[in-house]
Amino acid sequence: MASVSLINVCKSFDNVSNTVNNVSLEIADGEFCVFVGPSGCGKSTLLRMIAGLETITTGELRIGGKRVNDLAPSERDVAMVFQNYALYPHLSVAKNMGFGLRLAGVAKEEISKRVNGIAGMLQIERLLERKPKALSGGQRQRVAIGRALVREPEVFLFDEPLSNLDAALRTQTRVEIAKLHREYARASTIYVTHDQVEAMTLADKIVLLHSGAEVETFGSVAQIGAPIELYERPNSLFVAGFLGSPKMNFLAATVTAIAPDHVDVRTTDGHALTALVAPDALKVGDRVQFGIRPEHIEAGTAGAAHVFTREVQWVERLGESTYAYLRGDTHAPLIARLSASSQVQTGEQLALYAPPAKAHLFDSNGRALERLAV
Amino acid sequence: MPVVLKKSSRWRVLAAHIGLIIFIGLTLFPFLMIISISLRPGNFAGGSLIPHSFSLEHWKLALGMSYADTDGNMVHPPFPVLLWIWNSIKVSLISATVSLVLSITSAYAFARMRFRGKGTLLNGLLLLQMFPSVLALVAIYALFDRIGDYVPWLGVDSHWSLALAYTGGVAQHIWLIKGYFDSVPYELEEAARVDGATPFQAFVYVLLPMALPILVVVFVLAFLGGMIEYPVASVLLHDEQKLTLAIGSRLFLFNQRYLWGDFAATAILAGIPLTLIFMITQRWLVSGLTAGSVKG
Repeated sequence: MASVSLINVCKSFDNVSNTVNNVSLEIADGEFCVFVGPSGCGKSTLLRMIAGLETITTGELRIGGKRVNDLAPSERDVAMVFQNYALYPHLSVAKNMGFGLRLAGVAKEEISKRVNGIAGMLQIERLLERKPKALSGGQRQRVAIGRALVREPEVFLFDEPLSNLDAALRTQTRVEIAKLHREYARASTIYVTHDQVEAMTLADKIVLLHSGAEVETFGSVAQIGAPIELYERPNSLFVAGFLGSPKMNFLAATVTAIAPDHVDVRTTDGHALTALVAPDALKVGDRVQFGIRPEHIEAGTAGAAHVFTREVQWVERLGESTYAYLRGDTHAPLIARLSASSQVQTGEQLALYAPPAKAHLFDSNGRALERLAV
Repeated sequence: MPVVLKKSSRWRVLAAHIGLIIFIGLTLFPFLMIISISLRPGNFAGGSLIPHSFSLEHWKLALGMSYADTDGNMVHPPFPVLLWIWNSIKVSLISATVSLVLSITSAYAFARMRFRGKGTLLNGLLLLQMFPSVLALVAIYALFDRIGDYVPWLGVDSHWSLALAYTGGVAQHIWLIKGYFDSVPYELEEAARVDGATPFQAFVYVLLPMALPILVVVFVLAFLGGMIEYPVASVLLHDEQKLTLAIGSRLFLFNQRYLWGDFAATAILAGIPLTLIFMITQRWLVSGLTAGSVKG
């Protein structure tokens, strides 16, 4: 078990632009850290750099306090589970799992003892003699995880391990990975995913990464923190919009009044809303984005305080709740999560209450203002 | 058959089968003709497919045994056929093995490593192999003649030099193996690297076992190439004891004396090692070993 530290790590494939830009983070011993971000954000590249499959352009990587920039993957004592499993097709499951130990020169009896132990834990004992092609997707994934576990490494690396599984299996395996981590491994784990549910449920710490032009301007890291912290206190529009499903709603607005413990704004269509945030350097008349999550919106009465009305464009009834899609400021609709019994109809003007304590406010640069009511 | 066929297409299937049977007959005819020629007395190329009289005289000669003809005279084998076959096998085995080792390693470099001029080199190889080796006969002869002055065992009339000349044809093998390596997901080697393998171990334990079918194909092709090659061998080998079968069997066909019967028996005998090689290797000649390694 070992901690992993990244210090100002950058990766450039063409010496012109950085794919991964200035990542500094500390993953404590035994921590479960999830790299999440939109596709193309460099999260897999970052993971591969930690594994030693990509060189580090600048910056420093430490595992267990030791600088490992120039060590081969085999010298870093990491184990990795690949997105496509990457099982050796010509070897049986048992040989696949024991491959690393065999290379390390571990005695045959010891290898089979450890392989059998892990196989028992993952419930794949009866598959040990099979070749990978005779396994289902879920079984292959278990073998790939088993191959990593057998080596008892310092650091586990998972590269989108569940993305090739169907939805039901994904949920099940997700729970199992979480259980494995809590009960058995306790090794530092780094897990890459683009699925925010995986990120929220598995992580002790989430590292949310930027993509595109923001990588160059702000660096790769958008925000680091515990899942709930990122959900409740996103530090930018990007983070606020990425975590949560459906996405947070944004209403373009102008600041109308400022107090030490709240900010009043007026939306472009003239509704007065309030957010309990510290105003900082905000001035009256500044253009801001007012953010409110679909699950925090409540049905309201038109004309009351903190209520806005919008036209309903579409309604989805999920049984346990009802999603109302409302006309948004841009082409993206606003979404409100209403009670299952809601009788809302397409085309009507819906009055919605945005609780000030649940509201977020972002300045014109997309930076969040500190929330005071969480 | 999993798909239900229309009535009309059954006739087409029947017609196709008849066509195929005729085609197979056409292909088999020369082979049967050679067997027939080798089993009848005298050295005649013509005659009916089923011999009127039967004789093993040509086979005895081919196998190096003497026999007594109808007048009681002993007829001795004109040429050391078995030795020629052995020579052919020896040269082919050496060149196939060396070709395989060279092409595996080069193909790995072309498939997995990044270096300057890779594309140019690959295209160069492709271009070079398009010229038939016959064009280089003079050069090949001159080269080995000169080398022989300094290294006698690698001069003219040596099996080693012939094998070396054959090994020059690795370009197509490199292309073949490289194509196969390209189809093996690089992730597997990366997984091996993370599992603690050195690049060489990842190559030997992961990539090579998966490429086995193509390695067998290349070996068989190289072996076959050596067994049937004529022009280079005809220039490099002169001593009757050193000839390979391909050039040796030409000696059966003088202008004044065509030994068709002996030639036929020799030809069939020569086919035996090739058939054996195919029978031994055919279980590796199936691909599909990579199926199931990644999602699928």
